[in-house]
Amino acid sequence: MNKLILCFALSLFFFNAGAQSRFFTKDAKINFNSSTSLEDIVAESNQATTFIDIDKNEVAFSVLTTSFKFRRALMEEHFNENYMESAKFPKAKFTGKIISPIDWKNEKLVVVDVKGQLTMHGVTKEVTLKALITPGKGKVVAAAELKVTPEDFAIAIPSAVRDKIAKDVTIKIDAVYAPYQQ
Amino acid sequence: MIKRKTLRILLWIILAGIVVATSAVYYVFNKPRRNISKESAVYTMEAKQLISEFKKDEDSATKKYLDKTITVKGEIKSIRTLDNQSKVFSLEDEMEGVSCTVDSADVVKNYSKLTQFTKGSNVTFKGRCSGMLMDIQIINCVPE
Repeated sequence: MNKLILCFALSLFFFNAGAQSRFFTKDAKINFNSSTSLEDIVAESNQATTFIDIDKNEVAFSVLTTSFKFRRALMEEHFNENYMESAKFPKAKFTGKIISPIDWKNEKLVVVDVKGQLTMHGVTKEVTLKALITPGKGKVVAAAELKVTPEDFAIAIPSAVRDKIAKDVTIKIDAVYAPYQQ
Repeated sequence: MIKRKTLRILLWIILAGIVVATSAVYYVFNKPRRNISKESAVYTMEAKQLISEFKKDEDSATKKYLDKTITVKGEIKSIRTLDNQSKVFSLEDEMEGVSCTVDSADVVKNYSKLTQFTKGSNVTFKGRCSGMLMDIQIINCVPE
C-alpha cells in the first residue's frame, strides 16, 4: 500500500515536472558597449528579469535603466538624464518569439532567431536577433546579442559628443533560467 | 617699467584661470558616485507599504520614488548572491516583494552586520529606488 502511494506521488511529481513550461530569472546580465577609439563606454546591469515559455517559444525581457553601472558616475548621469530619460521611461523591454525550430528535450546548444518588439526610451521597434540556447534539466541557459542605433529610438546625441559614442550599440544578454512556480 | 608689471600680473591671472578651469573640468569628469550611506532618506517606510503603493499605481509610485534615497523595513524572504558578488535581499515576498541589492564593496564594509541578516529576520535597508519589474528594486543598499 505504501509503495502504491509512493508510486502515485512520484508519478505526480514527474507529471508536474513535465508540465513545467515557464522558466525565469531575475538576475539576468545585460551589458552594452558603445566604445569608440575616443572613449570606452561600457555598462552592465545584473538585474534584468526575463521569462521563457518553452511551450509557446516566447521570450520576455525587462530591465530598469537606472540599474546600469558605468565606469564613471558622470556617464551614468548622462545616460539616465540626457539619453534614456529614465525618469520618464524607467524600463526597457523586449518581447519576442523564437522563430527557428528548437527541441527543448535535446540538451544541446542551438542557435536560434528571435523576432520581437524592443521598447526603450518610449519607442517600440521590431528587431530580429540571434540567441544561443542550451536546454538543461530544470534550467535553460541563454545568451543573445543585438545591435541598436540610438537614433532609431529617438535618443538624441549632441553632435559635439557624437564621435565619442559608437553609431551602433552592441547589447549582450546572459541568462540562466530556473523553473517558474506560480 | 609699469607696462612690464601689468603684463606680469596679467600672466598670473591667466595662469590662475587655466588652473581653476582644468581642475573644475577634472572634478566634473571624475565626479564621485553618490554615497548612499552618507545621504539621509527622503522616505522611511515599511516594505509592505511600498509594495502596496506600487501595486495600486505603478506610474505614480515610480514618479514619487525613482532615484530617491529611501529606507525600507521588512522581513527577509530570500537571499541571493549575484555573479558580481552583490547580495540581494528580498523583503516580504520572494517574487513580488522589495529586492534590496547590496554592492560587493558594501558587502565587505558591512560584513559582520550582514551575516546576522538571515531568512526570517526583520531588517532595515537604505538605498536608491530604481523602479519596479516584478519586484521593487532598491539598489546601492546599505544595512541600517
